[in-house]
Amino acid sequence: MRDRLTEALKMQDVEYADIRLEDKTNTWVNFRGPDLDMIGSARTVGGIVRALYKGGWGYATFNDLVDLPKRVREACETAKLVGTENSYFAPTEPVVDVVSAKLVKDFRQVPLAEKKALAEEYNQVILGHHKSIQTSSVRYADSFKQIWFASSEGTYIEEEVPDVNLMTAATAREGDIVQNGYQTCGGPDGYQNVEGFYEKARSAAQKAVELLAAPPVTGGKYTVITDPLLTGVFTHEAFGHLSESDFIYQNPRMQEIMQLGKRFGVQGLNIIDDGSLPGGLGTHQYDYEGVPTRKNYLIKDGILVGRLHSRETAAKMGETVTGNSRAVHFQHPPIVRMTNTYLDQGKAAFEDMIKDIKLGVYAIKAFGGETAMEMFTFSAAYGYMIRNGEVAELVRDVVLTGNVFETLKNIDQIGNDLAWEPSGPGGCGKNDQQPLRVGLGGPHIRIQNCVVGGSQ
Amino acid sequence: MIVQQIVQKALQKAQAVQAVMLTQETSAVDFENDRLKSAESSQRTQIDVKVIVDGKVGTSSTTDPQDLEGVVNRALEAAEFGSPAHFELPDAQALEPVKIFDPSLLPLEKPEMIRMGQQMMDMVKTYNPEILAGASINKTVYKVEYANSRGAEYSADHTEFNVGTGGQLVRGTDILFAGHGVGQKKRAVDTEEIAAQAIEYFRMAEQIAPIESGEMPVIFTPRGLIALLLSLGLAVDGKSVYLGASPLRDKLGQQIASPSLTILDDPFIEYGPRTSAFDNEGVARKITPLIENGVLRNFIYDLDTAGRAGVKPTGHGSTRNLTNLVINPGNIPYETMIRNTSKGLLVHEFLGLGQGNPINGEFSVNLFLGYKIDNGKLVGRVKDVMLAGNAFEALKDITAISKEREWVSGPWAWFAGLIPYIQVGKLSVTAK
Repeated sequence: MRDRLTEALKMQDVEYADIRLEDKTNTWVNFRGPDLDMIGSARTVGGIVRALYKGGWGYATFNDLVDLPKRVREACETAKLVGTENSYFAPTEPVVDVVSAKLVKDFRQVPLAEKKALAEEYNQVILGHHKSIQTSSVRYADSFKQIWFASSEGTYIEEEVPDVNLMTAATAREGDIVQNGYQTCGGPDGYQNVEGFYEKARSAAQKAVELLAAPPVTGGKYTVITDPLLTGVFTHEAFGHLSESDFIYQNPRMQEIMQLGKRFGVQGLNIIDDGSLPGGLGTHQYDYEGVPTRKNYLIKDGILVGRLHSRETAAKMGETVTGNSRAVHFQHPPIVRMTNTYLDQGKAAFEDMIKDIKLGVYAIKAFGGETAMEMFTFSAAYGYMIRNGEVAELVRDVVLTGNVFETLKNIDQIGNDLAWEPSGPGGCGKNDQQPLRVGLGGPHIRIQNCVVGGSQ
Repeated sequence: MIVQQIVQKALQKAQAVQAVMLTQETSAVDFENDRLKSAESSQRTQIDVKVIVDGKVGTSSTTDPQDLEGVVNRALEAAEFGSPAHFELPDAQALEPVKIFDPSLLPLEKPEMIRMGQQMMDMVKTYNPEILAGASINKTVYKVEYANSRGAEYSADHTEFNVGTGGQLVRGTDILFAGHGVGQKKRAVDTEEIAAQAIEYFRMAEQIAPIESGEMPVIFTPRGLIALLLSLGLAVDGKSVYLGASPLRDKLGQQIASPSLTILDDPFIEYGPRTSAFDNEGVARKITPLIENGVLRNFIYDLDTAGRAGVKPTGHGSTRNLTNLVINPGNIPYETMIRNTSKGLLVHEFLGLGQGNPINGEFSVNLFLGYKIDNGKLVGRVKDVMLAGNAFEALKDITAISKEREWVSGPWAWFAGLIPYIQVGKLSVTAK
């Protein structure tokens, strides 16, 4: 393959070009309610050529691998339509490497019948849990991807990317009230990650049932404690995206807002993105431009100290590359993305964080999160009221919203219990590129004056 | 045709089989931060196979037309463990003639697309040079081929054209995004009008208007109506109805919305963004009334769910996607709706939509782009405001529907449809 790619790249007549080819086989088993909803497998083969000319990018994406030199020419011609200025592209050392998958239990060796049986057992656990369970959803998915990458600078990387994940979800109903609970698991290193999940599946069903009796939270301003999973989502969505330099590098006002050295939070606040973290969902040895990944501090001791770069944004901003150029698959060029992002743990014990809160909300897990630069909105899966320093009744429809800069400043306690979100289906979305595998982590944190949406 | 070859191959072991093949070519140009950023050519092939063996269903897909053997074998393997088929593949049906292919799009090349994008961006920059402008233009030509073992064979050539412009305006720590786009199956598009509409959203947002929490009337722009249509779309999904998860499951024939509301799903609109004559299960598409004069008329069924529920498939494909939504106009001019509102909101875009429990109708969303109405006038953009309510309650509480309708479509739209402005009597607004 290396010879084929090198040969095709000889057609390039621009400043820089690369090719990425992918061959992926994936399998899925979905139950919805008592019935098997979908079972099947697919193979996806394709590639992308990128060409850089006078600051403009030309791309050619394709499923048909027959004529690679033609795709290289196509990308180069397109780049020449676009480029009129100077290219910025940070230098990196060319790399030649083969990155093989390390699987404890190889899901490719597990018969489809066994995957179906496993999903069906989890489904039965949910459906049989309680009479209020209306329906269920169990989704098993695995994929094994082989990637070949070559650049006109001599980089050549072969990489295997395995992934297996499972989601179990329960829907409970009582009259017109419908509530959901879910649990997910998975990981890159094998089928064992989705085995033995019976108790978690049961807890998803149990939570949906409990929420039927829970009142919606009353909207207002509260002291909020978020659990590690919600902290991870907040860190990624509300702050992490602002650290992606493609939002910043051509935007002087954003540069002003995200000026390195600015104080963003208390002394103990540390936010990190680390693509080299062993075992992380967003871990890769190299990013999609062949740049080695590494640990990057974004906020250190409350001060903004770094941001995430592609080779282009690093050159434009005169900063060093960070290994954060990633693509969801070959139909897209790589863009600046997070890898494993976390708010590092501090010293506070949960008991100490909660003890002086008269009236607050303890928000747990996330149904989803969305941001528009400074504004964010997150739906917790559920929450508890905090009354007189103690966790009180269960509440539903807990939606947190606010301005990220103010919210970061309002974090006054950081827990000592860093945890990572388990794998599951889905991932991060940006510019139509979804779902990209990312790791999300954090401890319990306490936020003062946080707006919780809901009825008045 | 490859799809017929697959059908023949699979019939050696399967009792029934269908194959769908998509072949597609796209050209796209993308402007970002005031500059032409990139251009792209893309070629796509996708083959989907569904087989029924001994009454059980298996599916597979591939992007490789050389790999017909592989895709058929994987579908046959999946069928061994597949779910029981509750349906038969459809016979050949007469298809409605539809306009989905505009030959004048074929000669459109990237330099002309670049010129169109530049022109829209220039207009936005002329209005306010501080806006960091962007634009996106995308032309797609594709063919869908379908064949099954009962002799149904269809083929359709489509063109698609998506054009949009917008930008962001940063003032202090305040960031405003706005834009407008159009998506359709023909070339004729008014780039000046698209840019003018994008500018209008910025113009209306020039002032920031403080607002107090409380209940107030809310006007949904055509695009903003997604806040209500999202829940409705999920609740009319036949699968949710069959599984008992839809709050509308037992409401067919009942009044679920204001008598002024009529919503059709119309797959036959000339060059409409989601127009087509057949779905990916070989079912002929047809017009499906969802709500007529406030009365719930239909749910959306694919072949399998229809079989399980004992009803007919509605031609919305295996994933039951709505096509072009058409809402009947009302009799009040939009301007009058605004003028008649002493205190309220005009809402256009949201953050956090679809989180939580949307099928229930409950929503609690951040207003991403919303405007305050004060004494019959739009007085500026509101910030840090949440809108909460129940979509089904809101549909009952419709107090006005505008005469004017606008197409919602294009690069950044959640759905496609011809939609009026709709006013709801009272929703809960929480301001920070």
